Amino acid sequence: MRYTDVEFMICQAARLLEDNRTVFVGWGMPQVVAMLAERLYTPNITQVFEFGAIGPRSRTPFLRGTMGGPQNTYRSLQWCSMGLAFSYAQAGYIDYGMLGAAQIDKYGNINSTMIGENYERPKVRFPGSGGGNEVASYCWKTVIVMNHEKRRFVERCDFITSPGHIIDGKTREECGLPRDTGPWRVITSKAMFDFDEETKIMRLIAVREGLSVEDVVNDMGFRPVMADDIQVLEPPTDDELRVLREEIDPFGLVIKK
Amino acid sequence: MEVLERGEAEYHFIDPDDFREYVRDSKNRNWEEKLMDESDAVKKFVDSGDYLAYDFSSLTRGPQSLIREIIRQKKRKLWICAKFTLLESVLLAGAGCVDRIDVGFLGFGPYIARKVQNGEVKVYDWSNGSITYRLIAGAMGIPFIPARDLLGTDTFRKSGATVVRDPFTGKPVALMPALNPDVAIIHVQEADVYGNARVYGPTVATLETAMASKKVIISAERIVETVEFRKEPNMTIIPYYLVDAVVHAPFGAYPGGTQGYYEMDSEHYLMLSSIRDEDEMQKYLEEYIYSVDSHDEFLERKVGMKKIRELVKKAQILEGYR
Repeated sequence: MRYTDVEFMICQAARLLEDNRTVFVGWGMPQVVAMLAERLYTPNITQVFEFGAIGPRSRTPFLRGTMGGPQNTYRSLQWCSMGLAFSYAQAGYIDYGMLGAAQIDKYGNINSTMIGENYERPKVRFPGSGGGNEVASYCWKTVIVMNHEKRRFVERCDFITSPGHIIDGKTREECGLPRDTGPWRVITSKAMFDFDEETKIMRLIAVREGLSVEDVVNDMGFRPVMADDIQVLEPPTDDELRVLREEIDPFGLVIKK
Repeated sequence: MEVLERGEAEYHFIDPDDFREYVRDSKNRNWEEKLMDESDAVKKFVDSGDYLAYDFSSLTRGPQSLIREIIRQKKRKLWICAKFTLLESVLLAGAGCVDRIDVGFLGFGPYIARKVQNGEVKVYDWSNGSITYRLIAGAMGIPFIPARDLLGTDTFRKSGATVVRDPFTGKPVALMPALNPDVAIIHVQEADVYGNARVYGPTVATLETAMASKKVIISAERIVETVEFRKEPNMTIIPYYLVDAVVHAPFGAYPGGTQGYYEMDSEHYLMLSSIRDEDEMQKYLEEYIYSVDSHDEFLERKVGMKKIRELVKKAQILEGYR
């Protein structure tokens, strides 16, 4: 079956999650990833939402704007406050976080605040951190999902909203961030990356079927480290696409974007 | 404690002793009826220049009828806490009520983005977590709270937080200054006439916001007897002595939804979120806010029974909301 870039990224991300773990879920695409993972791969994953819903069995189809409403918080284990939801993450209870980004640099610092050189007069202004800074600071493993475009892979983000592994020359620990945390995988419409253990630089570990390593690297503003053995990413399966299109997002609010 | 780095933003701050004194002298502990209409509540308790906080958002259980009343009364120079905010901050900016916004998440549609880009509205970047922790500190009556977010980032540099060396671990830690808003507006499912209130569903920062704020206006879908709270004390979110005014506002979160009562009006929401220019914004404000005198009139003339029935019919999930 043919599939879109967004469907491709959603399926890759859903396969990464492990069962019997907790995941901090943000607005939009991450919600759909979590729903797909829960239906096909990780029935015992516990979703955590920043506004204070823990472990909901979210109703499908996915509807716009219902994040804090009855559909999305259906049959939660706990309803709580935002302070508590973030504190679960700060205290180490949340395994995975999932974020989007407008820009990313080679250490996995991400920008979701503004584009431009002058902060006071941004060229483009985005919603800001939301809970993204907390997710990237606190979760054990952060997964970043973003479209693969050259202008998004930059030497230095115009604005570092949420921390990667090395921030303006300082390690996470030197900044005071929790130990052993940070970006774990970057999933794009063309490839998948992890981070080199020694240099903490983004490392290409897999490419989308039909693409060469050069196709991927030419669309980046910096050169990633290369893994010894670069894999080919399995395309979305018919089963994944059926569940996505028929059960989770039949209105195409996320997958057709 | 060794100060390692300071964020550059100005931030709203009240000395905890001044806040305590305000609470002692001005927070009403009498068992007194506080029920009033939204016009009186906003007249009495929202002043131009106030720092305003609210709970939840324009999608779910947001205090939209009170936001519209603030716009109608043309309050000016508000500084708002946009922790988890979407269209209410856009409306307040469009009506010229707001000139500063502390941002956790601000649904930057094209309209508000332009206001920020041309400098009409000043934005201070924090994050949802750091602003929430600031409210928790404000609610606890302490001057700041340490946390491990913001560290290292530009978000920190543009915030009003400070990084110090933690005297216990020796590691850098961020200190968030307490946030004590001048006024909070909170929509709830149930309140009594004294201000005891409870919400159903996730709470975002309902109690923290009420507890940290000097003045608190509650709007409620329904007014219940006080005994309802005494029967289920675990469910009381806000006790009466935090509250200054109670407004009975059925459909008060419209065009958003309220759990257990009605769903959001997606059509109205889309219309609102597609506003791009000043002309469209002023037309919207005239049509839906200035041209009516009250929330009741708004519901009668601008929403109508047919729409209300449709939104109530959609809200069929009741688990957890009763």
